[in-house]
Amino acid sequence: MKKLTKQIAALLGTALYFAAFNFTVYENLTKRCHNQTSAEMQAKSVEVSEYLPFDANSKIAAVDSALTLSEQPPVIDGAAGLFPVYSAFVHAVYPESSVHYDGERFTPESAMQYTNTRGAYQAIAEGTIDIAVCVKPSDAQLAYAKEQGADLDFIPLGYDAFVFLVNGSNPVENLSCQQVRDIYAGKLHTWSQVGGKHLPIDAKQRNPGSGSQSAMESFMDGQDMHANPFGFLGSAIGYSFRYYVSDLVGNGGVKMLSLDGVSPTPAHIADGSYPVVSSFFAVYDRHNTHPDLPVLLEWMQSDEAQKIIADTGFIPLHPQQ
Amino acid sequence: MKERTFHRLLAAVIIAGIIISLLLLIYTKHLYDNCSIISYIANGR
Repeated sequence: MKKLTKQIAALLGTALYFAAFNFTVYENLTKRCHNQTSAEMQAKSVEVSEYLPFDANSKIAAVDSALTLSEQPPVIDGAAGLFPVYSAFVHAVYPESSVHYDGERFTPESAMQYTNTRGAYQAIAEGTIDIAVCVKPSDAQLAYAKEQGADLDFIPLGYDAFVFLVNGSNPVENLSCQQVRDIYAGKLHTWSQVGGKHLPIDAKQRNPGSGSQSAMESFMDGQDMHANPFGFLGSAIGYSFRYYVSDLVGNGGVKMLSLDGVSPTPAHIADGSYPVVSSFFAVYDRHNTHPDLPVLLEWMQSDEAQKIIADTGFIPLHPQQ
Repeated sequence: MKERTFHRLLAAVIIAGIIISLLLLIYTKHLYDNCSIISYIANGR
């Protein structure tokens, strides 16, 4: 009987050991990776269907401009976070017949495309689109454009705050720019070093070539970024753009940190007190001879287009307008 | 319980545990590869 008890205890102990291991993995790793959107939207990261041009239910800042481009306007593409801006541009000045969306994606003949920052920079380098609405490219994207013979020009359109995010339960509300650089450089390892809990810092990065990764590389000013090998056991910090977090994704589980004591509000961005802002541009190849391109680029800097940028939620070049 | 039966049962529990753990790790890796930075932070700590 004693032997049987020992055998049952051994079996139960083994099963409990695996159960405890799997529970720990699930609680610390699996659970935090659950996305709240469909697989399709994970890839696209923005609910495109909510921001389409020429749609009465669209959330874009719809303006009907006096300018209308030709039936074959410049092909426009851009970053996920800027999709509502260039969708509103298209709505304002493109003929409706030039945009083709099949319910899931823009068809190849459409003058509006959406391949996100990486796709847009590749496409403009290869000459398959005419304008990309994006933040600055990475060095690799610039080098690729040069290799393809493209001479890229960047027309500033507006700007937004580059923000750092933590979980809503993280007690840290503010970091200095230097602390953020030290975290990502691997010099600060735990949240207690910056006024938080005794947990490792999990400094998350984005994929190379994405707009926010290029902005982060610029923010680091040449310093290499190092992941904390024990970070996955701790509490995370990440980065994105203010509009993307607060308006497009609107995920209540994260909060944006103040930097150097200044919160990333539109007022603080506009008055220059928030320390890290990033411009976004209309990017085109100077060799491009599309006849509508100069007209469209000029219009994008007009009061009408600047109002679209402001109404969408970004900071225009001239906030007083 | 016979010794042989016990060892078979123990082996079955260990194999099942390893398989379930591996599947969970593969699933977690799949989620991690598709997870946005915002979802990761929002759902974690």
